[in-house]
Amino acid sequence: MNRKEFIQQLSLISGGVAFGMGNIPVKAFAHNPFALNLEATNGKIFVLVQLSGGNDGLNTVVPYENPLYYNKRANIAIKKESVLPLTSQMGLNPAMSALKALYDNGKMSIVQNVGYPSPNRSHFRSTDIWLTASDANEVLDEGWVGRYLTQLYPGFPLQIPDQPMAIQLGAVESLLIQSDLGSTGVVFNDPNNFYNLVKGTSVDTDPIPNTLAGEELKFMRQVASQSVAYSDIIKKKWDNATKNVTSFPSTNLGTQLKIVGELISGGLQTPFYLTTIGGFDTHANQVVANATTTGTHANLLKTVSEAVAAFQKDMTKRGLGDKVVVMTFSEFGRRVSQNGTMGTDHGSAAPLFVVGNSVLGGLIGKNPVLSDVDSNGDIKYEFDFRQVYTSVLQDYLGVERAMATTIMGNKEFKTVPIFKPVPDTTLATNPDFNLEQNFPNPFSDLTRITYTINKQMYIKLALYDLMGREIEVLREGMAQNGSYTIPINGLNWTPGYYLCMLRCDAGQKVIRLVKM
Amino acid sequence: MPVWDISNAKHLLSRCLFGYSRKDLEQALSYPTLEEFVEKSLLASLPLPPPPGDWVNENPVANNGTADGDRYRSMTYWWYNQQLGEKLNMREKMVLFWHNHFVSERDKVNFPQHMYRQNTLFRRSAWGNFRQLTKEVTIDPAMLIYLDGRLSSGNTPNENYARELMELFTLGIGNYTETDVKQAALALTGWQVNGLNATFNPNRFSNTTKTFLGKTGNFAYGDIVDIILEKPQAAEFICQKLYKEFIFYKPNETFVKQMADVFRKNNYEIRPVLSFMLTSDEFYKTDYKGAKIKSPMETTIGILKAFDMTPAQMNPTADWAYVYTQSQALQQQLFFPPSVQGWVGQRDWINSTTFVVRGGFSDNVVNMMGNARAVQFKNISAPVDYARSYKTSEDAVKFVDDVVTLFLQFPLSAQKKDALVRTLLGGTILANWSTSTPGADVQLKVFFKAVMRLPEFQLA
Repeated sequence: MNRKEFIQQLSLISGGVAFGMGNIPVKAFAHNPFALNLEATNGKIFVLVQLSGGNDGLNTVVPYENPLYYNKRANIAIKKESVLPLTSQMGLNPAMSALKALYDNGKMSIVQNVGYPSPNRSHFRSTDIWLTASDANEVLDEGWVGRYLTQLYPGFPLQIPDQPMAIQLGAVESLLIQSDLGSTGVVFNDPNNFYNLVKGTSVDTDPIPNTLAGEELKFMRQVASQSVAYSDIIKKKWDNATKNVTSFPSTNLGTQLKIVGELISGGLQTPFYLTTIGGFDTHANQVVANATTTGTHANLLKTVSEAVAAFQKDMTKRGLGDKVVVMTFSEFGRRVSQNGTMGTDHGSAAPLFVVGNSVLGGLIGKNPVLSDVDSNGDIKYEFDFRQVYTSVLQDYLGVERAMATTIMGNKEFKTVPIFKPVPDTTLATNPDFNLEQNFPNPFSDLTRITYTINKQMYIKLALYDLMGREIEVLREGMAQNGSYTIPINGLNWTPGYYLCMLRCDAGQKVIRLVKM
Repeated sequence: MPVWDISNAKHLLSRCLFGYSRKDLEQALSYPTLEEFVEKSLLASLPLPPPPGDWVNENPVANNGTADGDRYRSMTYWWYNQQLGEKLNMREKMVLFWHNHFVSERDKVNFPQHMYRQNTLFRRSAWGNFRQLTKEVTIDPAMLIYLDGRLSSGNTPNENYARELMELFTLGIGNYTETDVKQAALALTGWQVNGLNATFNPNRFSNTTKTFLGKTGNFAYGDIVDIILEKPQAAEFICQKLYKEFIFYKPNETFVKQMADVFRKNNYEIRPVLSFMLTSDEFYKTDYKGAKIKSPMETTIGILKAFDMTPAQMNPTADWAYVYTQSQALQQQLFFPPSVQGWVGQRDWINSTTFVVRGGFSDNVVNMMGNARAVQFKNISAPVDYARSYKTSEDAVKFVDDVVTLFLQFPLSAQKKDALVRTLLGGTILANWSTSTPGADVQLKVFFKAVMRLPEFQLA
């Protein structure tokens, strides 16, 4: 690359970035040199299925040899002869035969008693706790996936990857994919429809006033920018895919997972998908009296089971089985004892399912203890849900332990043996140069930036704000081999995020600086 | 007292109504003071509208074929008509506020009769007494169905309503214990739904001593509401919600406390606290102007109001049916909030799909102006006629300025205004602009679409 090309590319990035990229043609993104590449996630894709409303764990994975279960659930228990046995003690609800087959083939791990200390029984609060991976008494406004993705792509939102970092099939954007730096994902129900809707939308680049209304305007512009930037590639990749390779159930969740499968097989590299099914708040009539294998809850479980199994089959047929894992979760389980209306009230810990070729398979953890419940009559948790997230990050996505700890809010969680061991997948570093994370970070006045150059080449090291404006060029010109440290005084900077980018002939790297 | 000028009037109307036209704004400003406008217009009492059909008094019948679905749809259109025809009164905004507070969903309630009755309760109590409203909601048939109260009986109750009553309807999370939920659930038992009405069946009531929020007695539902409202958090919780709806989604807690004080001193009468909020300096702070993201109903009804449409001009099967599908796509279907929490609002309205759907809606409405082949909104003004209702219609720069000033709460940069003027002019030059030139109608439509496609237009 010569100097002219280099400067052209750089202006392309710093000119058309972040919240004001609308007047830059969409094409600019298609040729974005900083494409999200799958190496960053080892090519792995993770699909979440949210069971909204609080899934009744005990009628999902049934302790069919436990007399207390039958005693406390006289009218709603699943009879022993009906369950699909997993072990000598535990069995699946008979509505889940499709997932039972996957379990038998070692393609499904079930983690039992997943919850957290001091469980909250509000749908909304507990959902937020699960989505943000917070403690029970801690309120966060970033989703754990949003945190993961912004760690993975430190250039966001100055550079936006050429493919969405996350996709939510649905209607109202989930906290899961939100971050302090903006939304990391796009939300739609149907790729074709999405593409058609976005046509005609453009985003302007006018300065945004520094007011509360300006904040809302900035938010809308960022959302609009992502729509404009991504509707094209989503449609293109979706069009690539062979359709109807597998027959999916015609349920809403089935359709969502069908689209996910088509996008993946069309070559979309997005590493995270969120799908949702509601209706699990079964306070009343969760089963039909005297026919407990039927009713609302059985229908929901059947829907989940058949949709997830169809998805796994689809991925296998397309030769993508090793790239994808599906996990279910719900904001809480339900009370051990039934209530007087053929249902169950809000509870705490419950099992969750992880499906794919990468799982070890089997039932993990103790069978639920019904004789030693908490003061509210709910199951005590055995695994913190953040242990499950940490396992996904480290053992499936190949995230280093230190980064997983950061994503979990600087808390270390022990992993759970859900996944097959993978060879050490530390990301390859570029042999020609490196830019280290500044230290200290966050900082209030002084911090240091260190970079290393291993061959003589042209470099530019500069600081940017999140609007993409260049604040200061730290170094520009031919650089010789060596390791260099540059002290920076940010005393007068406005608190917030800043980016430092090293661009050179051998590539580029970005770090994110946090000024307190 | 804040001044009664165009900026404050626009702000007040955009928050308390579903939108406004130029005439609405002029009429509001014809009141001598803000206070008079609030007391005599916004909060004026009104008679109840006639119901959507005689069926509202019919006993619900199971397996009624498509009748219930059709009735829900016609009742939704009926509510659209109330919103579009709200004039300068904020009752319909409050009906939606309470619908979004004391949530019930049509798919579980099933019978439109029950949802109609609940809707009427909200209209009757729009700014009545909150204590009374909470008690009535607690034994409202739709609510008894939605949160399972009708099934809950004796000493093995269902906790569904008890929890949401405190968490979402009165106190907010953290102000009660799990034991309080269980004890309240006992006190709330005994109510069933028979036909159109709620009835109390003493045999299903848990006739025992309950200990609830530190008090002990054989409580029933009215006691539960009274005990809850003794806690200062209740007034703060409701005022916080009013603040978030009408001022800004991140509440100023100091001001919320002042509102709560007014609310408690007036024994939970809603009108005085609304009046206090709407005439406060806090409400009119420059910072809050244009800082609310419009709800889908504010967007859709608001656009129709902007073009002077009236209920009489609306064709249900074409126009309201279109608004119905569009508001579904925008994630606000009346009588069908997404969960017991209701619509969260503000940024939750906007995502990569809904943002672009909003632009599609306004495009379509404008496309129907003066369109002989219009499939919807056949009665909307032709673009030239609409433009000529402005004194400035023949001066492109002033006209753009007028339209933008009327419909945006947000000051536009000079560059953006210039761009809009160029959009209006198309190929022609400023001096040649006239609504009489051939093609002016096309240019006007391009201009209206451009204004309504601005992200600023989504802010109220």
